[in-house]
Amino acid sequence: MQSSYGGVLGLSQKSGGTQNTGLLPLTVKQISEAAQNSSDDTFYIDGIDVNNVTILGMVHNKEERSTDVSFLLDDGTGRVEVKRWIDGQDTFENEQIAALQDGVYVRVHGHLRSFQGKRNIVAFSVRPVTDFNEVTYHFLECIFVHLHNSKANGMAVKGPSISSPNYGNPVGGGAPSQYVTPNMTGVGGSMDECQKRVHSVFEEPSSLSSEVGLHIDDVARRIPGFTKKQVKDAIEFLVNEGLIYSTIDDDHYKSTNG
Amino acid sequence: MDTSNPAPFVNAELLKRYPGRRVRCVLKVVRAEGNSSLSGLTSDGLHISVKQVPSVASLSQFVEVIGVVDSDRTLRAEICTNFGDTFDMSSFNQLVQMANSEYQSLFI
Repeated sequence: MQSSYGGVLGLSQKSGGTQNTGLLPLTVKQISEAAQNSSDDTFYIDGIDVNNVTILGMVHNKEERSTDVSFLLDDGTGRVEVKRWIDGQDTFENEQIAALQDGVYVRVHGHLRSFQGKRNIVAFSVRPVTDFNEVTYHFLECIFVHLHNSKANGMAVKGPSISSPNYGNPVGGGAPSQYVTPNMTGVGGSMDECQKRVHSVFEEPSSLSSEVGLHIDDVARRIPGFTKKQVKDAIEFLVNEGLIYSTIDDDHYKSTNG
Repeated sequence: MDTSNPAPFVNAELLKRYPGRRVRCVLKVVRAEGNSSLSGLTSDGLHISVKQVPSVASLSQFVEVIGVVDSDRTLRAEICTNFGDTFDMSSFNQLVQMANSEYQSLFI
């Protein structure tokens, strides 16, 4: 299971990838090192699509023009250009922009863009910092989110490599010689605990050597903590996966690995 | 976009790691000395002195000094920013420690 930390605005999951519709707090250094998709010029950091970003730093070289205002934001890890388009009619916007002076600490929310090879931020909010604990908070959040996202994607990468290529092959339960271990953890988390345990019972040498395999009751007895219904459901699942097959009657099953 | 001249977060203990380099440090102002120096307490509880402070008189209780490390206990200020009178030094100190050790790659 993959999860992405999308900040306050929430998460969304897309099958096969991590889609981020939330907000990423970043340092300018992280922005400068973000990877870029060659096909569509979108960025990604720690395996997450970079969409909305928030950065915090000091304003330098503010330039006000008729259609936009731009400045360099220095957060101690680097400087990045920030641009904010001006509406002209929006008084809230005008107040925000008037508050911007060189040397002022601001919190920026915006999109990460690339123009002529240089990365910049197109901001939709630039707010002066009033409580400077926000500075400490922002950088701690950058560390936290980075750690969270790296861990989540680190685990997802390890998962699929454990599963065997033969796993999903249900063709008459034929002997899958490459299938070495009954290790279930890789395949999209579809095997629950009961199914794993039931299957491992069928994989035991004593079970494999028995011609008729095991009776459902035998299996249930060996794994306390599960109801007979759960065991039956697990067995049905394993049959559908081609891992076990029924032998002398509907109550006896044996691993296809024998 | 320019990451060639970062100014790492430091406390007193870390000053000696960046001699002659530009750093940023939040201090609790203890005493103003003359009209361009001050003595302050770092986030790890040690005293350092800062020279070439612009407008010493109008500083709040907590000040961020961005400047060059002159010695293990002195900074030569370039920019001083008032960080107000309520600032959590212990959280800041932990940030400084993390930003200079395991998570250094995010910063410098």
